[in-house]
Parts: sequence; C-alpha cells; structure tokens
Amino acid sequence: MSTLVAPSRRPAEASDARSVAERAPKRGRSPERIAASLTLVAIVVASIIALADSGISIPHMIESWGNAERFFARVGPISFPEPAQLLYLTALTIGLVLCGTLLAAVISVPVAYLAASNTTPGGGLQAFGRFVTVLTRAIPDVVLAMVFVLMFSLGSLPGILAIGIHSIGMISKLFADAIEQIDEGPRRAIRAAGGSTWQEFTSGILPQVLPSWVATVLHRNDINLRGSVVLGYVGVVGLGMEMSFAFKSLNYSLGLGIALVMFALCIVMEIVSSIVRSAMLGVAPTGRSLGARLARRVGRASAGRGAQRLETSRPGLETPPSSAPRPAGTSLEAALRRPWDAVRIRNTAWGWAALAVVVGSVLICDIQWGDLITFWAKVPAIAVQFWPPDFGNYDAATMFGAMGQTIGIALAATLLALVVSVFVGSLAARNVAPNGTTRTSMRLLLVVIRGIPEVILAIVLIVITGLGAQAGTLALAFGGIGLAGKLIADSFEEVKAGPERALRATGASRAQVYASATVPQGTRALIGHSFYLLDTNIRAATILGIVGGGGIGYYLLNAGQGSNYQVVTAIVLMILATVLVVESLAMWMRRVFR
Amino acid sequence: MSSPVGNEDSVVIDVERLTKSFGSTVALRDAALRVERGEIVVLLGLSGSGKSTLLRHLDGLETPTAGSVRVLGQEVPRLTGRRLRALRSRIGFVFQQFELVPSLTVLENVLTGALAELRGPRLGLWSYPRRLKLTALGHLDRVGLLDRAYQRADTLSGGQQQRVAIARALMQDPEILLADEPVASLDPESSEQVMALIREIAMDAGLTVVCSLHQVDLALSWGDRIVGLRHGEVVLDTPAEGLSKVEVMEIYGRVATATAELEAIERELVDELGAADAAAPERSAAPAPLVAAGENRAG
Repeated sequence: MSTLVAPSRRPAEASDARSVAERAPKRGRSPERIAASLTLVAIVVASIIALADSGISIPHMIESWGNAERFFARVGPISFPEPAQLLYLTALTIGLVLCGTLLAAVISVPVAYLAASNTTPGGGLQAFGRFVTVLTRAIPDVVLAMVFVLMFSLGSLPGILAIGIHSIGMISKLFADAIEQIDEGPRRAIRAAGGSTWQEFTSGILPQVLPSWVATVLHRNDINLRGSVVLGYVGVVGLGMEMSFAFKSLNYSLGLGIALVMFALCIVMEIVSSIVRSAMLGVAPTGRSLGARLARRVGRASAGRGAQRLETSRPGLETPPSSAPRPAGTSLEAALRRPWDAVRIRNTAWGWAALAVVVGSVLICDIQWGDLITFWAKVPAIAVQFWPPDFGNYDAATMFGAMGQTIGIALAATLLALVVSVFVGSLAARNVAPNGTTRTSMRLLLVVIRGIPEVILAIVLIVITGLGAQAGTLALAFGGIGLAGKLIADSFEEVKAGPERALRATGASRAQVYASATVPQGTRALIGHSFYLLDTNIRAATILGIVGGGGIGYYLLNAGQGSNYQVVTAIVLMILATVLVVESLAMWMRRVFR
Repeated sequence: MSSPVGNEDSVVIDVERLTKSFGSTVALRDAALRVERGEIVVLLGLSGSGKSTLLRHLDGLETPTAGSVRVLGQEVPRLTGRRLRALRSRIGFVFQQFELVPSLTVLENVLTGALAELRGPRLGLWSYPRRLKLTALGHLDRVGLLDRAYQRADTLSGGQQQRVAIARALMQDPEILLADEPVASLDPESSEQVMALIREIAMDAGLTVVCSLHQVDLALSWGDRIVGLRHGEVVLDTPAEGLSKVEVMEIYGRVATATAELEAIERELVDELGAADAAAPERSAAPAPLVAAGENRAG
C-alpha cells in the first residue's frame, strides 16, 4: 500500500558487480512468433523460387521487345467499333458494373450488421454473417458469371448478379470493420434516450460509417470495372465480350482498340471516384493529406469565429444562453427552412447526380426482371450437372500442378511488386520524398499504374510474348505496384511525426530518419499490405489464366466452355481451399505481428 | 406494482443497498439514494468513486449485482424491451463527452432525443415530422444555438456541443435529468455557462436533477443537496446550504485547515487515483496512507 509515494525509480546499486549487458533482461520470444517468422521466411523463399521458375529474364524481355515491334507492324493501325456502338457498349459496361456494385452495396448492409461484433444479435447469426462474407469473396466472379450465363441465357443479369454476389464479401467485410471501430458514445446516448436497437443503428451508427461505406463501394466499383473485361470471356455483355470476340477472330487491331477504350475508362472512373471520395470525406480530417490539413485549418478558423460570436453576444454569465425570450414562434418557423448554403447546394447536387447515374444504369442494362422469377425452374437441372466434383479427362497431377503454377504466379508477382513498390511508395510519401516534385510525380505514376487493368495488360502481354506464366506474372506484378505503392505511401504518411522530428533534431540524415523512424513505425502495416497483395494476387492469378496467363484458369475456362461442369466444381473447390488457406495465414500473421 | 414506499408521488428515485461489481472490482457497495421530485442533487467524488456507475443504473444502462433501483415508481432492473425504453424516454441523460453524432447536423442530433416517441429507424431531417422539428428548434433557441441548427455537430466547440446535448435531452420532455460529469471536458467559462443553463432549465421545468461532479466548489454553489461517494460507498448525504468545503473534504478522509492545503490535497488525491487504478481492488479497506500524509501536513 505505498500508493501515495510516487514509485521513484531506485538507482542501480553500486554493489552489483555484473555488467550492464548481463543485467539487462533477455529479449522475450514467443513460440508462436518464431513459427510465424519461419512461415514468413518460407513464403519469401517460395516466392524467390517461383520467380526464378517463371522464366522472366532480361534477355528474354529484350527478345520479346523485338516480337512486339514485329507484332505491332503486322497489326497495323488500331481500330475502334462504330462511334454509336462504342458509346452504347461503354454505357452498358459502366451501367452493368454499377448495378452489380449497388446490388452488393445494399446486401452488404444487413450482412455487415450480422457480422460486426458490436451489432450482431447473436453468435449463430454472427457466424452466418462471417460465413457469407468469406464465401462470396472466395468464389471468383467469373465462375458465378459462368453459372448465371447458363441460367439466364443472354442479357445483363448474369453479369450484374455475378458482380453483385462476389462483391458482397469485400464490401461487407470492410463495412463490418468500420462498424466495429465506431465511437460507441452517440449510440449509448440514443439508447439512454429510449431509442430502439434499430434506431441506435440508423441514428447512432450509420451516420458514423456512411462515408467509409461509400468509399468502399466506390473502390469496389473500380475493381469491378476492371474485372468486367474477363466476364466478357464467359459471355457477359459489354466491352469485354466484344474484345474477346475480336481476339478470337484474330482481329487484333479492333481488340487492342477496345482494350485502349477500357483502359481510358478505368482511369476516368478512378479519377471520378477519388473526387467523390474526397468530397465525401473532406470534412473529417484523417491524416496528413492536403484535404485533411485544409479541413483542419478551416475548422480552426470557424471555431475561432464561433468563440468570438459567443463572447460578443453574451456579455456575462448573468445572461445565460436563453434569457431573451423570442417573439412568439415566427423566427422558429423561419428557422424550419434550411438555408441554401454552399454545403446544402453541394450535397443536393451530389444526391441528384448519384440518383441520375443509378437510374440511368438500370435503364441501360434493360434488365429482364421476369428472368428473376423464371430461372428458379432451371436451377435443379443445372445444379445436378455441377455435382459431384470430378477431374474428368484430366488427371489429378495435372490439375494440382496447374493450381501450383497459379500459386507460383501469385507469389512471384507479389515479390516483384513489393520490391518495386516499397521504393516507389516511399518516394510518394510526403514525409520521405526529398521534394514535392518527386512526391507528386510518384503519386501520379501510381495513379496511372492503378488505372491500367491487369487483365488488359495481361492480354496485351500475351499477344506479344505468347501464352504462359511469364505474361501473367508480369501483368500481376505491374498491377500490384499500383495497389501496394499507394497503400505503403499512405501508411508511411500516417506514422507519427514526433519520432521523425526527434531523430532529425539529433542530426540524423534523411535516409537515417527514414530507416530508424519511418520504416519501423510502418512495418506492421507493410506486413498487412503484403498479405493483402498476396491474397488479391491469388484470386487474380486464377482469373488471368482464363485469358491465357497460365495456371488453373485455363482449365477452368476450358471446362466451362466444354460443359464439363463437374470439372468446374472441382477446380472451384481447389481455388476455394487455396484462398481460405491464404486468408487464414494472413489473419494469423496480422495477429502475431501486431 | 404494490410498493412499500408510501409517498410514491414525491419520491422519484429510490436506490437501496445497491451493489455492483465488475469482476473482482467493486464499483458500488450498499449504496442508497432517495431523491424527491424537483430536487437538484450533486453526486460528489473522485473519478472512480462510483458516481457514473450509480447514474447509469438509474437509466438501466447497467444491471445491478444486488439491491434495488426504483425510478419513477418502477423497478429498473426488471424492465426490458419496450418498457425499459419507455422509462428511459422519461429520463434525460447528459454525458461527459457530449456523445453527439459528429457527421449529423445539430438539429438532427437534437431530434434523436425524440426517437422513443417515434416508431422505427430515422435517418435524415426529412424523416422527422414538422411538429418535432419546430420543438427541436425551440430547444436550440433555448440553449442559444438556433443559428447553428444546420451545421455539422463536429464543427461546434465543446461547450456548444454540450448545450446541443442538453437540447437533445430536453427533446425527451424528461421528468428527471441525469448528468454525468457534464463539464469535466470543458474550459472553466463554458463550464459555468453549461451548469447555469442546466440549473435554470431544471428550475423552469421543475426537473429532478442528479448530476455528478468532482469539483467541490462548483458542487457547493450549484446543488441543493450533496451526496458524497468514496470507493463505491455513500459517505455523505446532506443539504448543500451551510456546508463548508472542509466538511466536504472529510468525505475523502482528510482533515485540513487552509484553502491552499485543501487544493494541494485535492491534486494529490487525483494523482493517487491514477496510480491506484492499477493497484489492488481492496484499496477501500486501507485508506490509511492518505491520513498519514494529511497529519504530516497538518502537524
């Protein structure tokens, strides 16, 4: 009970003969951490082997450069579809992707509600919510599209449903995470006022998580637009299908033209959604970004003004806020009309624009609503064709080998992407870049890289270098730089500025500050991003196989087109197992290296 | 609902032998509190003495380990679902951290106080009836923030946010107002404004108020009655009038003579609390070191 006396540190007793090194406590290591470290090393080694195996070499690349020149000379000028048709196809592609994303966005709200630990009604329902999240994310949208194309024949519904169902997983997972991170206070206040559970959710939780929900949905929409190219290969209408037809009929100039349009579309969409995101999130300062700093400055200015107004209007405490009674009612009636200030005009404009886009998307998709009722009749007959899983004409060794190749592609691409993106991402971080020009140009580079859909890149690379793992690996690695580079730059910008300042104050050089203050604070995020990238790449690698990038995807497409649906099921199960293993590995790593 | 309490009309809060433990920590021990309609009561004590826990029991936000909590003639721990919500809607609650929804407008935040009388979820100003919007604007006018009605809540200063929270509580048209350290996060000037506002509103509407505070001076000048808590036990329950600061300090087990000394002790106590939070749970059994230190000073 020595609570009153501050526990002052006792000076080391002089009589202790042991040296400081001997007396220092030994660094503790938990067995789990050792196991995780070993696993990490094993993954890195596997990636290096995979990279060596993939056949990427400088001489080979130079050689294929010659191929490319010859190829483009043969293709001749790039051509596009008729302007009217091009416009329709573009609108249809965007509309279809938007409808799919919106479908997922709506469904993800109840799923996230069930899955989030602070809103879930009970253990069983929470498990159900999490199961839906994991399952929908693990089944590739291409597989869903394949199945739905069978059920709905043609039209936009197969694409919308495939995108919609596959996107539920990611949106509801991120949404549930956001719900778990809210400030519980406002919710408790509503409970204390007698609000029901429902009202707690809509008035206390939803307003807090709405911005992050919109940001997630926009992000997912970008991903879906890129993915829509591959959906075209299995029969989903839009630019992707036209492109696959063009390539199949060896009309390379048209195919490349459509690819170019798709590329432009992705960049435009990326820019639009980042504008919408910053408009939505601009008010809440989150970090050291330009928008956040601006918002803080504005906030300080208006707070200052507010305080001033308070003082002038209220000379002393003797006149508390309400002492002057107002002439009955009139001004309250006036106050009922919300003034059309800049914020309200902007919000209303955004609202109507969003509504117009949604309505337009639904109209252009020309959805055959009747199909939604009639297709159930076909379900049993089709479901039977998919069961039991079977490798058909292929032997198991071939299939496992192909799956292994897919994993190899993902590992090699992740390694390549990480090496480059740590470099690019660091230079794109405000607190690391030597000057503003470097940072801006690196950020720009990352935006452009992110704009290029991996699938398009893979298709072009395949056309140039021929089928195989090399094209797939390079395409994935390139796309990974865009994703990981941005995440790394953001994480580095978010580290605490204090330790950096402290090191600079000791006279450390820029590189020393980076190595000793910035990187150590960002390591945890770096490991998280690496596994996120691996996770994404495993999924993407299966899909790249469909367009000829090597691995299991090729067999998946073949089985689908040859109506060997039992093989499709077998392959999907393999993919599911792999994805789940990688995901649980990632979760374990994130927990251990917290 | 046969009650042993005779004058049911005048006694709105009746807590008897209330005990609450969180794991091995005892937050409240045999606490008792009787409040009559229209009384303005201050719960005084250091943070961690059980004030918040007691207040939260009154609103059914905590379930007692043992004992009885009767509010407005109803046994709170027995209520669930709609009946609990109905009781809560008659009790306003003001929090230390205001607990407004930052991204909603000030007006919509006030309107959330009326959720209990509405059915179903609401989001957006359009989803509330015009009648309630007028009432809410009136309450905002009352707390002097009518001109801020359509601003986001997070653009307001702390004192302004707390006034919005008071308007939200008024929206419930409450019979009882509970306030948990309402000014602990505010600067002195805003504190006095907010406390004056609560007192004025309570007098006008004849509200019963139970407010927890840790500043002795403020409590003495503001409340009608002081209830002192220490380590989860009620150690003082007396009218505020005529009570001296020295007498109040005794609830902390201290004897001191000069004001400066008192303040020094007050500071020390706050420090001690920070250290003791991590210490053994049975610290209430041995408050002796404090007295020893006090004697040193007094001597």
